[in-house]
Amino acid sequence: MTTRGIDFKALSLKDALDLAVLIEQEAKERYEEFAAQMDQHRTPEAATFFRHMALNEAKHGEELAARRATLFGNAPASVTRAMIFDIEAPDYDAARAFMSPRKAMEAALASEVKAHAFFMAAMPSIQDQGVKLLFQELSGEEVQHQDLVKAELAKLPPDSGLSDEDFVDEPAAQ
Amino acid sequence: MSATCEFQAKDYKSDLKPIWCPGCGDYSVVQGIYRALAAIGRPPHEIAFISGIGCSSRIPGYTTAYGFNTVHGRALPIAQGIKLANPDLLVLAAGGDGDGFSIGGGHIAHLIRRNIDITYIVMDNQIYGLTKGQLSPTSQKGRITVTSQHGSLEEPVNPLLYTLAYGAGFVAQASPTDLASMASIIEEAIRYPGFAFVNIQSPCVTYGEEAQQIKGLKAISENLSTLGHNPADRLAAMDLAQQYGRKLHLGVFYRNPEPAPTYDGLIRERQAALSKGALPKERILDLFIKK
Repeated sequence: MTTRGIDFKALSLKDALDLAVLIEQEAKERYEEFAAQMDQHRTPEAATFFRHMALNEAKHGEELAARRATLFGNAPASVTRAMIFDIEAPDYDAARAFMSPRKAMEAALASEVKAHAFFMAAMPSIQDQGVKLLFQELSGEEVQHQDLVKAELAKLPPDSGLSDEDFVDEPAAQ
Repeated sequence: MSATCEFQAKDYKSDLKPIWCPGCGDYSVVQGIYRALAAIGRPPHEIAFISGIGCSSRIPGYTTAYGFNTVHGRALPIAQGIKLANPDLLVLAAGGDGDGFSIGGGHIAHLIRRNIDITYIVMDNQIYGLTKGQLSPTSQKGRITVTSQHGSLEEPVNPLLYTLAYGAGFVAQASPTDLASMASIIEEAIRYPGFAFVNIQSPCVTYGEEAQQIKGLKAISENLSTLGHNPADRLAAMDLAQQYGRKLHLGVFYRNPEPAPTYDGLIRERQAALSKGALPKERILDLFIKK
């Protein structure tokens, strides 16, 4: 989780909404990447779950973008994608070939925890009241998302005890 | 050369789906390259992306640029030929540490001394991953692999010191621990007028060691700009580069403040000088025709 060049003290509501949209977009794209990786490596259950997460992130991003448009119209954005990395998107190395649905959900859960931590860490620096309220709302939603993923995890049958590594070929010299 | 226009990262992404192992660092490297190319803004047909052989050498196929997945260790000479044949192309070369510093190790010195305007991106994972985990030139001493069952007895090649010592005008290091920074380093390397080298610590999730995975890399990473490093200071860069393998310094080690002329530029100048007073191409045959 990295940010670059974001002055949280001076963050306006427009910039904060733009930032939130970018965070959702990044997460959506990462989940789509993960789904494609799982398709490629014949791990359909994890692919389905990652695709579901991508849809959720896209939906949330669209809602935030609509709010931004209502409040600020086409006013140019001053925050860019280059300012954020891995805020709500799962870490690149969270994906594994043949990962179980449980592992996939755990990766998503870790991402929601990370996103919540980002908003909480930024909060003390925020000066604008509107931004403060937005960040409180977004951090609250991250907690709700965590609960949703936890509920899905609870529905899964007990873990087989097998690791992803059990399905990977042993290294062999060529 | 065409004028630059607005391109987005997705414009450089091909329809081919990467087949790297999920979790591989190369997934983020290709994203970093898409972003850097979008920032540069050259259309895909004006870019040639050349690679050797290995997992990371699949990368040109995942872009919409012209690509050539060549033979093992030969990305650089082929990239050099392409650049000299068509200097207007933006030429990128890429590969792994084995491709670049073992079988292809002899080529780097010559591209550096000629200062060919190419950006060379090495995805350094300290292992031969495609062939299932053999010792590579950047594997740490003591490393146990299928070809070093009792631990490697060799010191690793230091790619940063190697390129700095040969006089590269731009040397940087990045990692998937920070994609935004990686993209901006690649962009800066492409914009550098001359040979630019970017070493990317890209973890191998299947055959790499735990300490070389993202979490391990984060633990030893330090940003060169926060250390107050001056990228114009080559000796300071060489000093920092010696910590390769122990510390992961991210950012630009060295950027020559007064870039030397490029070989491709010098060739153009010489061609222009030698062709003064020469017959135009369409009249060459006149030389052989008696009047």
